[in-house]
Amino acid sequence: MATNFFGGFKVSFKQISEPRVTTEYPKEKKPKPPRAHGRHVLNRYEDGMEKCIGCELCAGVCPADCIYVRGLDNPMDDPVSPGERYGYVYEINFLRCIHCDLCVEACPTEAITESKMFEFSFTSRADAIYTKRELLVDDDGKPKAQPWEDWREGDDRNTSAWMRATSPQGSKDYEGVVAWSSELGHGIRHPEGGQGDNRDDEATGNISLRETRKDHIFKNDGGRVR
Amino acid sequence: MTEKLTNEETVTFTLNGEEKTAVKGELIIEACEKNGEFIPRFCYHPRMKPVGMCRMCLVEVSSPRGPSLQPSCYVEIQNGMEVNTQSDPVKKAQDGVLEYLLLNHPLDCPVCDKGGECPLQDQTLSYGPGESRFIEEKRHFLKPLKISSLVELDRERCIQCGRCIRFAKEISGEAEIDFAGRGEDTEVAIFPGKEFDSYFSLNTVQICPVGALTAVPYRFKSRPWDLEQIESTCQFCAVQCKLSVQSSQNEILRTLGIDSDAVNQSWLCDRGRFGFEAIYSSNRVNSPKIKKDGEFIDVSWPEAVEEVARALSVAKIANGPDSIGFIGGARLNNEGAYAFSKLAKGVIGTDNVDAQLSDGIDPNLIFGLRRATINDLDQAEIVVTLCGDLREELPVLFLRLRTLVANEALLLAEFSIGETPLSQYAAFRRSLVPGKVQNLLEELKDSFLSSFGRDDFEQKDGGIVFVVGNPGIGIDGLEIEHSIRALAKSFPNAKFLPALRRGNIFGALDMGLSPGLLPGRVTLKSHGSFFGDKWVCVPEKVGKNTKEMLQSVIDGTMDTLILLGSDPISDFPDKNLVLKAFEKAKNIICVESIMNESTKYAQVILPASMDHERAGTVTNLEGRVTHAGDKVTASGASFDDWVIASLISAELGDDLGFNSREDIGSEICSFAPAYRSTEKYFISGNDFGDGVVVPIAQVPVSIRARKSDPIEVPGLSSIERQGSPIRSGNSLPSSVAKVGSESQISFDNSMFDLNSTVSYKLLEEKRESSFYLVLEKSLYDNGTLLRESKSFENSARESYFKLNPVLLAELGVNEGDMITVSKESVKVKGRVVADSLVSVAVVVASWNQNSADSRELISLDNVNIVEVER
Ligand code: SF4
Ligand code: SF4
Ligand code: SF4
Ligand code: SF4
Ligand code: FES
Repeated sequence: MATNFFGGFKVSFKQISEPRVTTEYPKEKKPKPPRAHGRHVLNRYEDGMEKCIGCELCAGVCPADCIYVRGLDNPMDDPVSPGERYGYVYEINFLRCIHCDLCVEACPTEAITESKMFEFSFTSRADAIYTKRELLVDDDGKPKAQPWEDWREGDDRNTSAWMRATSPQGSKDYEGVVAWSSELGHGIRHPEGGQGDNRDDEATGNISLRETRKDHIFKNDGGRVR
Repeated sequence: MTEKLTNEETVTFTLNGEEKTAVKGELIIEACEKNGEFIPRFCYHPRMKPVGMCRMCLVEVSSPRGPSLQPSCYVEIQNGMEVNTQSDPVKKAQDGVLEYLLLNHPLDCPVCDKGGECPLQDQTLSYGPGESRFIEEKRHFLKPLKISSLVELDRERCIQCGRCIRFAKEISGEAEIDFAGRGEDTEVAIFPGKEFDSYFSLNTVQICPVGALTAVPYRFKSRPWDLEQIESTCQFCAVQCKLSVQSSQNEILRTLGIDSDAVNQSWLCDRGRFGFEAIYSSNRVNSPKIKKDGEFIDVSWPEAVEEVARALSVAKIANGPDSIGFIGGARLNNEGAYAFSKLAKGVIGTDNVDAQLSDGIDPNLIFGLRRATINDLDQAEIVVTLCGDLREELPVLFLRLRTLVANEALLLAEFSIGETPLSQYAAFRRSLVPGKVQNLLEELKDSFLSSFGRDDFEQKDGGIVFVVGNPGIGIDGLEIEHSIRALAKSFPNAKFLPALRRGNIFGALDMGLSPGLLPGRVTLKSHGSFFGDKWVCVPEKVGKNTKEMLQSVIDGTMDTLILLGSDPISDFPDKNLVLKAFEKAKNIICVESIMNESTKYAQVILPASMDHERAGTVTNLEGRVTHAGDKVTASGASFDDWVIASLISAELGDDLGFNSREDIGSEICSFAPAYRSTEKYFISGNDFGDGVVVPIAQVPVSIRARKSDPIEVPGLSSIERQGSPIRSGNSLPSSVAKVGSESQISFDNSMFDLNSTVSYKLLEEKRESSFYLVLEKSLYDNGTLLRESKSFENSARESYFKLNPVLLAELGVNEGDMITVSKESVKVKGRVVADSLVSVAVVVASWNQNSADSRELISLDNVNIVEVER
């Protein structure tokens, strides 16, 4: 009887000594998995020029049809971006975006990237359309544009341009080799470690999925769960 | 050009081991394409002569020395030829050619206007090597280089295919661009100190297989995958080229010429290509307006229509229906023109309706002539032009005629006021002088045609084609009409192509917007009773033309004018007459899209939708009825013209009976004799192809396959391929050959008697020291639609006078000096242009250009005589 009674608490007792899975969100936030896709950011080069050239490849590839871009002739006396053309209008409708990251893949200049910021708050449909004002990083390369956005220390490092560690032709030899330009506020970002041997998680600040999910993984497999 | 229905000689050849047939004389590239094998190419363009420059089209062809690589765009197919397009040597050649082309090609695709519809991108993907071995620095040029106000050149992207240069030389005849430099320094260049100044310059942008040539008005406006398109018809001049209207976000961004064998063969003029910009003019009339205390105030449609109906009924009751007149109508489509024709003639009962502004030809004459089609020019032995400068008035017709004469496919006899771009090719030419037209045409017969065996062209149906229009304002229309009648009598087998220039003027005339006519090319006399049964009423007697209407307003017998998309103050030859009439008129009602000089005098302005905002049919100078679609929604509260006519009519108490434009279409087809059996062209849909010439041809017609090959016109088919958002009306007709015959119907035009000639005489001869004044029109002037288009707002030139150089010497002036031309007390200044082909008895003045207005000097009397001073 008693064994049966206490037997019913077997799982509960076992769990008491396990690490806690839940956190006090939003006071405390867990690191997000490396490839989490959140709100977009439009980046700048280190000299402050916008990376976006208004080519609309992101808009063309977007499966949700949520990007609207218009290009314009770059004013030669005060160019906005290097080259002849710059992105004059840039809008993303976050009611539609499915955060597939295809736009990031398509962008020839790594102008559009996704951060891990997933907390959106809109009070109207119009608010859900982020324009260049909200998307473009500020003069220090910081992405925070809305007062209520909860960017924390180090969050803005986690925009995902540098996640594209696979080489265009898929050759392993090119993994981990930087093939892109530096960014305002961050300089050259190191690539995320791929399947190559030359990964440097320290330098990239890369937290592997295994690391963030430790509380769910058995000790035998390197986690914290007994 | 036009394929004959009769048996063509065929040859058999092997294509990749399979036996195929082709038409004798075809190039290998064409023969293979017709048999389903696409050969990549850059320089080959079906409307231009092959040059074999890019070597992209290499295929293996059997020869006595074994198979060898040959450019398929340059070699004709032969009986028994063995063609291999898939072999290893061919693949290697394609790889090589593409890798070589890309050596110096910049990686511009993301910022290049062609990116997404680029033959170089596409063919590199399909036939290219995949990787480049070139790691050296590429060549660099300043980019972009502005070579005219409409075209920019990026020399880094050029692949030296020569299409643009060949177009300028072969098709438009203005060799203003050419290759300069050698080897890797080869570049397309303009001549030092000159611009690429051509009415056709943007065709080079359309056919450039890379993004080297870009159109300034479209530059960076959108990418191909944003665009939606419909097939439509340009309505700027009466040629009515077929084009694809492409828009994004409900805004038209560009148009591209469609290869319609019968009409424009893929070319457009620059004005037609970007003239749609007027839609976005800041002076658009966006809501109905009524004038109160000298100011226009915006009102609702019911208010405005009530006001119009009130004015019309007051005028009708007080002075009878004849006190009301309608001026204009060439900017309406057929449906709009029919509705207004029915409103004027069938409801109000006035015959004072004229779509022409007294500068054209009497439609009774046009309808009596044996009408030629544009393709008849291909078959003609001799073409005679008795009209204005075709490049200025009907640009794409000029291209067709110029290519034919330049290739010596026919002989040209030209009758013009001065030098035209066709003069250099003319086998016979005379400069026109008012009062002498008839005599000059006699010379054609006596000294030119007599040198041929007459049977050569006279016996053959359409062996001689006359292009007839008004050669210039100042030569009396009656004199021209008189001469045309004489020609029609002496050449019974000849065909005539009437060269009126305004947009849908032929549609308007066909719909009865002319005194004495009813819809379908019939007279009031012959068909009045038929229409009398169907309509509420028909006018009893033949009404007045525009000039007579204006005069009647001045002398008080008319008091109400309705302007149908016309601006007589800037468009009617005698400006003073218009001003006087407008001051005097009690009511002026404008059905208009853009505010202009004449709307200032209006009591009510009703906003009408413009081309590409409304769907309907239009009719060109051959009588070809085609579809013109609506790509964007109409601006503001604008309505289609037929809706406006219906509203007014309903307010007057008589419903026109139209609920949709299809209703009008079926009424036109059942009422208008010349339009019988054309129903399917009036019903919405897209597969109209080139339309049909009315009255429907009595012989089978053959029309070449409509092609939408991405390399021929990049941007037509790529948009379809990329799958722009699905929307009804988004497709171009498939490239199936439309060869067929239409049933024969009888349409009798004997009611238009060509014999009723009265002899014509000048009322006054010029004196020794004076001159006849003639005004010539140009493509670019200060007309409303041009002035309101961003790309053309500054296209008008400074006013000029053209004189024979002999006179310049006598007057002691040089080209470029200012002279004063005067008539009585009116003096107009302008710059002198020397033109050795202008008769010494004539001074030619410009029309509606900047600074001085030569129209001050002209009145529509029989003759205009002026003096010239330094
Ligand atoms: S993440 Fe995907 S859905 Fe969102 S904007 Fe980019 S392409 Fe569109
Ligand atoms: S974000 Fe990138 S892909 Fe999108 S328009 Fe700008 S440059 Fe092109
Ligand atoms: S011309 Fe074609 S291949 Fe060249 S940059 Fe433009 S899109 Fe790319
Ligand atoms: S500019 Fe274009 S059309 Fe002209 S030669 Fe170069 S690639 Fe050919
Ligand atoms: S050589 Fe044949 S297409 Fe250029």
